[in-house]
Amino acid sequence: MTRISGTYLAKRLVVSYLTLLVIMTLLFVLLRSMPGSFISSMITSGMTAEQIEQIRETWGLNEPLWKQYLDFMINYQTGNFGRSPTYNAPVADLMIRRMPRTLILFGATFLIGFIIGPLVGMYLGWWRGTKKDKSIFSTSLLLYSMPSFWISWLFIWVFNYEFNLLPSAYMFTQFPEFQWTAVTVMRDVLYHIALPIMSLTFIGWVGAMLIMRPTMNQVTDEGYVFLARAKGLSERTVMIKHAARNALIPVATGAVVGLAFLIDGSIIIENVFSWPGMGQIIVSSVLERDFPVAQATFFLLAVLVVIMRLLTDIVYTYLDPRIKFGESE
Amino acid sequence: MTLLDVNDLSIRYAVDDGSAVHASDGVDFSVERGETYGLVGESGCGKTTLAKSLVHLLDDNGYIERGEVWFDTTLPQWADENGDPEQSVIDDPDKPVRADGKTNLAALSNKQIRDVRWRDIAIIPQSAMNALNPVYKVGDQIVEAILRHEPETTAEAADDRARDLLERVGIEPERADDYAHQFSGGMKQRAVIAMAMACGPDLLIADEPTTALDVIIQDRILEELETLQEEFGVSILVISHDISVMAEICDRMAVMYGGKVMEAGPKEEIFERTANPYTLGLKNSFPTITATDQELVSIPGTPPTLRDPDDGCRFRDRCPFAVEECHASHPPMYDVEAAESTGRVTETTDDRAHRSACYRIGELDRLRTDAVNESTWTDQTIESR
Repeated sequence: MTRISGTYLAKRLVVSYLTLLVIMTLLFVLLRSMPGSFISSMITSGMTAEQIEQIRETWGLNEPLWKQYLDFMINYQTGNFGRSPTYNAPVADLMIRRMPRTLILFGATFLIGFIIGPLVGMYLGWWRGTKKDKSIFSTSLLLYSMPSFWISWLFIWVFNYEFNLLPSAYMFTQFPEFQWTAVTVMRDVLYHIALPIMSLTFIGWVGAMLIMRPTMNQVTDEGYVFLARAKGLSERTVMIKHAARNALIPVATGAVVGLAFLIDGSIIIENVFSWPGMGQIIVSSVLERDFPVAQATFFLLAVLVVIMRLLTDIVYTYLDPRIKFGESE
Repeated sequence: MTLLDVNDLSIRYAVDDGSAVHASDGVDFSVERGETYGLVGESGCGKTTLAKSLVHLLDDNGYIERGEVWFDTTLPQWADENGDPEQSVIDDPDKPVRADGKTNLAALSNKQIRDVRWRDIAIIPQSAMNALNPVYKVGDQIVEAILRHEPETTAEAADDRARDLLERVGIEPERADDYAHQFSGGMKQRAVIAMAMACGPDLLIADEPTTALDVIIQDRILEELETLQEEFGVSILVISHDISVMAEICDRMAVMYGGKVMEAGPKEEIFERTANPYTLGLKNSFPTITATDQELVSIPGTPPTLRDPDDGCRFRDRCPFAVEECHASHPPMYDVEAAESTGRVTETTDDRAHRSACYRIGELDRLRTDAVNESTWTDQTIESR
């Protein structure tokens, strides 16, 4: 039951591509207007002017700006992200290694948050005004106002320092006494990812709940909810199948916005937990003026958001049959 | 045979400050099988509340204070193979079932009433236009109702029936695969009617079936209801503020005001031999297409709030005929025919008779002549202010 037409999808893809081109241009301009040059990390005291000139030449900094821009645009579109001066490795390799680690953390958090949030929002919206609603709602607001890094420290203190249940950093055990097999790797990652995910989802679900609760409350007054009840359906069916299904539509919009916040959150969390993902290098690369890496990480995060937006549009058409994309009048 | 027998039904809405809104107060009426019964009155008079309460569909703060709703049905778990209640159920004092096979719906639990909803009593809600769920196909919503009450039916059979039902109300069966937003207003209304007939209910409650529709569609919907009634033999309880709708389709009707039935009886009796000041006022305020120069006279004032009302007649503050007695207590239902023919003022409990709640039932001729004069209503306003 696809309601999305091929032409619309094609149009949407073109727009997404153009969006990325604009983002790339912005990236190029913004990073180059930052104080400090990216070769400053490569220059050590005692280098001669020729040596510095040599470095500038190697990194293409002597080309006119338009040429640099053109090269950048062409290289990025052909998958050539350049070399990182600080890691002394191709940026693409770095990304390929780090991206999945971030996606695991990111995806799991996103999924858990957008399962718990709408579920809680559904119950609170349905029972709005009751004691249960009031107490859970105010608790969640309290959570929502806590910074994620503070929660992480709190969790590290409780689960690592006090009870020594979970590791406080890294993705793998540093000097393992066990053999690396598929099972042990998985177990080890789960063991290490537990605290970061807990810290992120502990407050992350509230955003989705805040969207779901009022819309859920709104749909309880809708005629179709009354009719569903009048048909003799159980309260549970009425709530989930008829009310919540409709209240979910605005949550999909919230998911895209929530995504941006989640990126924020994971950058902080990755640094707190020394999680070797993109969030960690995004900070270090900016601090060290490692332009190729900074450019690539920002770019990939932008790609992620653009893809998610595209997906949301498709999800929309499934959630709400009234939305029809690309149907000519 | 009587299908529905409502006895002394009172419904209240709890208010936060501890008071209660008496939305319906000691209402008596009965609906025969195959009959169309109308509840008419201004908005806020309790007619919708009354209808919703029959199947416990009141808002969260609404509750049945007292009274019985005897309906000719038996819950599946209490029925023998003929659908009649088992003798053991009738004998059980804890089960609200009478020897004549009727069940007191007011005494059923929330879980039990769900089996009555739609299977026995279907509702076409006030805003039928918004009653279809926008995210499901129209046909599937009908199928859902069928499968809920007839779990042994296959999905295919239910789907066939849904298409058949749509066809009966003049919608092409293929449209079952469409969503509500692809339907016009009149089609949505008819789709809801089709849905209401899905489980072959005995009573159809039509809450303002024609409001918000233009007159042509109104007429079509009313015709639709009449055809269905002939075809399925279903009884219809119509709720409307529109007295002309009532004139068109009802057999009998009750005029409600402030949670009370003011006048009830066969439609012709009520229209031609009106016996209550409120009904007289209501008739005045409706235009007729034949009398173009007719001055419309509205009833001055607004309906009472019904929040912990006092004992007096509910209509007395707006009534030009109010006397001392009216302030003391709400009048009982008097037999209109007896009052007209013999001049005797007698109370009646006969649901079928033409009844009116007015202490001045003995002076009907005066009421009727005075009520036509505009000054009767307007002068009174100045006085009461």
